[in-house]
Amino acid sequence: MAQSTQQTDADGSGLDRSKSMTREWIAGATFSLPYILIAGTFLFGPLVLALYMSLHDWNALAPAQSQFIGFENYQILLSDPDFWNALWNTFYFVFLTVPPIIIGSLLLALGVNRDVKGKWLLRTIFFSPYVLTVAVVGLLWTELFNASGLIPYHLGGGNWLTSPELAMPGIAVATIWWQLAFNFIILLAARQNVPDRLYEAAKLDGASTGQMMRHITIPQMRNPLVFVVIVTFVNSFQVFGQPFIMTDGGPTFSTTTIVLYLYETAFTGREFGYAAAVGYVLFMILIAISATNYYFLAGDDQ
Amino acid sequence: MSTESSILGNVSLSSDRLRTIALYVGLYGTAGLFLIPYWYMFATSLMTRELVYSEVPHLIPWDLTLYWYDYLLTSSLVVQWTGNTIILAGITTLVVILVDAMIAYSLTRLDWPGRRVIFGVIVASFMVPGIINLVPVYIIVSELGLVNSIWGVVLPSAANPLGVFMLVQFFKDLPEELEEAARLDGFSRLRIFTHIVLPLMRSALAALGLFIFIWTWNSFVWPLLILQSESMYTLPIGLVTLQENMGVTEPGVIMTSAVIASVPLLIVFLVMQKQLVRAVEMQGTTK
Repeated sequence: MAQSTQQTDADGSGLDRSKSMTREWIAGATFSLPYILIAGTFLFGPLVLALYMSLHDWNALAPAQSQFIGFENYQILLSDPDFWNALWNTFYFVFLTVPPIIIGSLLLALGVNRDVKGKWLLRTIFFSPYVLTVAVVGLLWTELFNASGLIPYHLGGGNWLTSPELAMPGIAVATIWWQLAFNFIILLAARQNVPDRLYEAAKLDGASTGQMMRHITIPQMRNPLVFVVIVTFVNSFQVFGQPFIMTDGGPTFSTTTIVLYLYETAFTGREFGYAAAVGYVLFMILIAISATNYYFLAGDDQ
Repeated sequence: MSTESSILGNVSLSSDRLRTIALYVGLYGTAGLFLIPYWYMFATSLMTRELVYSEVPHLIPWDLTLYWYDYLLTSSLVVQWTGNTIILAGITTLVVILVDAMIAYSLTRLDWPGRRVIFGVIVASFMVPGIINLVPVYIIVSELGLVNSIWGVVLPSAANPLGVFMLVQFFKDLPEELEEAARLDGFSRLRIFTHIVLPLMRSALAALGLFIFIWTWNSFVWPLLILQSESMYTLPIGLVTLQENMGVTEPGVIMTSAVIASVPLLIVFLVMQKQLVRAVEMQGTTK
């Protein structure tokens, strides 16, 4: 087989070359097909379907009878106090979690990168929550925050998760503990990639630790930092499992986040069209936030 | 340093030492705080009922019992849930690796029109957060009759853009000569893929596989929606319904179930930490 191809190629037969090209095309398309089919059905198709649904008063039992209502779902949404409340709660959660996760993971990564004893142990401990499911995290911290649990006993405040003021901070603490790990590993790797000679040169020039931090460490780690900031924002914006498990959105709606609200309107309220509209608005917000982050953090060089 | 006066040298030495002490206290103090939830979980799972329900929270289970483990193993479906989770995570891992490796191979090693566009679309699809598709994907899955079926959970996550991106980086570095030689020997594309490419990519595939396995083991929203009968539940879903069904929370049961759900992965984590770190680092370099 191969020999004959070689021979005909040597003859310079264009027909055969185009045949082998066609074969390459067919092979390429065939190898890609499973992914394309699956992504089409469960990723891109749904994006279109969501838009379509959001423009309808969706009938869950008889989708064919759904009525086209244009942008009415979006209009209702804008005057829906629950939506705004959930959006506000989400922003509050983002505010409570993103800065501590970024700063905490950066400090831990820089610290562990130093010449400390027990590096391996420290890395293992800080990375370990990464392999926990949100169910374990949620239940574990629910017990810790319980009225008779460890945290109220030492810090006061009764059961944090039944207090409108403390429930969200409680969820935030659990989230920080859980989510630091991923950023920590990425930033640790990023710090290790900064060449030592930069610091040696700076030391010779008499630079202080703070100066080296500002002029070498942070700029050199810029890309991973931008990545980490965007990912943390996007994750925090989509928080679902923690409030679902720990508080069920309560007390008095104080921990209902936007995705929890979406979930409930869809699967408790059966308002699929409306929930799809909520999803699209969330999508737009996420794109805007990622773009803003990117613009401010990575925009002004190279 | 050495040229400075001895007094200055001493001052900077002691401030260095202070800094080192602060570093150690900071790192090990934080590590200690990080460990408390774990300790609490394990300790509570081993405590007698009296200790669990005492007024003051206990950290030391001075009265040990396996009562909660016994209770969970005999009067809940926790064993079956563990089996379900292993099967689900195993199948998803295999499917994702196969599907992702196939397209990554085709995008890097085969020359066909449209592959650049497709790669661009895959990279862009990183930006679509899964949760936004919650409602439409549910509709599609139920149209396909896959609600309460394991495939209803596997298929929606079978095309993983992150995996494609990671594998493309590796496939690019594969020496072309190997493939050429195989082609001359009359190997078909499929045979080259299964007999040469996949074995050579073993370590990258293992890192991706480990990552997908943990990811699926821990996934929550999607199994919650799709798996509706108790005998189908995965561990995370089982735990949460266990807590809800009991009405009054039973800390002993809850913490024990949390131990059962997390210990397998913690062991995998301790054994394969290096590979997992690598998988996470690969994500950090994708942007």
